[in-house]
Amino acid sequence: MNRHSKYKILLIEPSEIVALGFKEIISRSSDFEIMSTLANPTYYTNIKSRPDIVVINPAVVNYNERFDVRSFFCVNGDNVSIVALTNSGYEEGVMRLYDGCINIYDNAQRVIQKLRSAIEETLQNPKNEINELSVRERDILVAVAKGRTNKEIADEFNISVYTVISHRRNISRKLGINSVPGLTVYAIMNKLVDISDFN
Amino acid sequence: MINNTLYSARMKMADLISADNELLSILHRIGIKLGFGEATVAEICERYRMSTELFLMICNIYSFRDYTPNVDMLRKEDLPDITGYLRASHVYYKTVCFPHIHNKIHMMVAELDSINRRLIDKFYDDYDAEVTNHFMFEENIVFPYIESLLKNGKSLQLDFSISKFEENHSYIGEKLNDLKNIIIKYLPEDYSSPIRFEILKDIYDVESDLQKHSLIENKILISLVEKLETSNE
Repeated sequence: MNRHSKYKILLIEPSEIVALGFKEIISRSSDFEIMSTLANPTYYTNIKSRPDIVVINPAVVNYNERFDVRSFFCVNGDNVSIVALTNSGYEEGVMRLYDGCINIYDNAQRVIQKLRSAIEETLQNPKNEINELSVRERDILVAVAKGRTNKEIADEFNISVYTVISHRRNISRKLGINSVPGLTVYAIMNKLVDISDFN
Repeated sequence: MINNTLYSARMKMADLISADNELLSILHRIGIKLGFGEATVAEICERYRMSTELFLMICNIYSFRDYTPNVDMLRKEDLPDITGYLRASHVYYKTVCFPHIHNKIHMMVAELDSINRRLIDKFYDDYDAEVTNHFMFEENIVFPYIESLLKNGKSLQLDFSISKFEENHSYIGEKLNDLKNIIIKYLPEDYSSPIRFEILKDIYDVESDLQKHSLIENKILISLVEKLETSNE
């Protein structure tokens, strides 16, 4: 990491015990520093300078409101790494929203390692996640365009229907296209499927 | 929102228009003729036999984003005016807004290669059919249901109630939003196509109009009919 200043971390963790422990680990690192600690994300907008990494306890995020972690912290195209800080396992669909995941039982060395790889990932693929479809998403888009149901897609790819729905939501968010006919137009225009499949 | 910042019955109709010229399209739908001099909103509504309260609500919905209509201000006698307005609004979409967009799409696809032309044509035609169906369902099933409920105190269609309509009442703007993004982001680049900008402007306009139209259906029509249904029971 060729960089003179330290990467700034914003920590969002309601437990003071965990927050202080995390701060202690970071204070021993030469690459990272804590710029601020919040108990929940509501006050994020009051923070003047932008962090390089947001480390957040996913439990403070309200899933019912479909809180989109990335679009919340990456305003104006800011490139912010978002790392989850958890004490338990989360579903795959939830974890895909994050660039990394630190478990509270990870040791200090592992924590720093995970932060490094998260920041490298973000630097190498700036906003890649938000704009372009992943290979898996593209495959699912093709299946949707061909008129497959969620159940059929789940069987074909050996994933749960829940995961299919979560992929479809991500596809629609990235493309700005929600309807199946709209997705079909996109798929044909980008030569992901052939128009002759539809006569 | 504080009530005194909204439109009132004693305002001059002409002042309403200068406050928000988008209201012209409401007048157009209702069939209010221009040249009304210094007449107030209440006077004009009386002349056209339309509920002033309802007219003001519709105008407030169009002009003020945060405005929430209070259905308690309306009576069941206002229902024919509401369905009348919604029918007139459908006519306006079918004869003014959508034909405009359709014509321009025809011009736009003429510049595209045959695959993209077929894609866009088909997408739009299917959407057009969906909109027609949506309006027809309301005009042939929902509005007659309400009218017979008013007239007979109960409906002849025993298997229908407004909650059924509410459940299935989808928002018809979704595909328009898709079309917008397809044109903005994915249609192959071209050198000079002012027509694309014009289409997008039209789509944005009709989209925001449709949102207000469905707000009138969901917040005013459905709530009022629900009250009527329970009072008849």
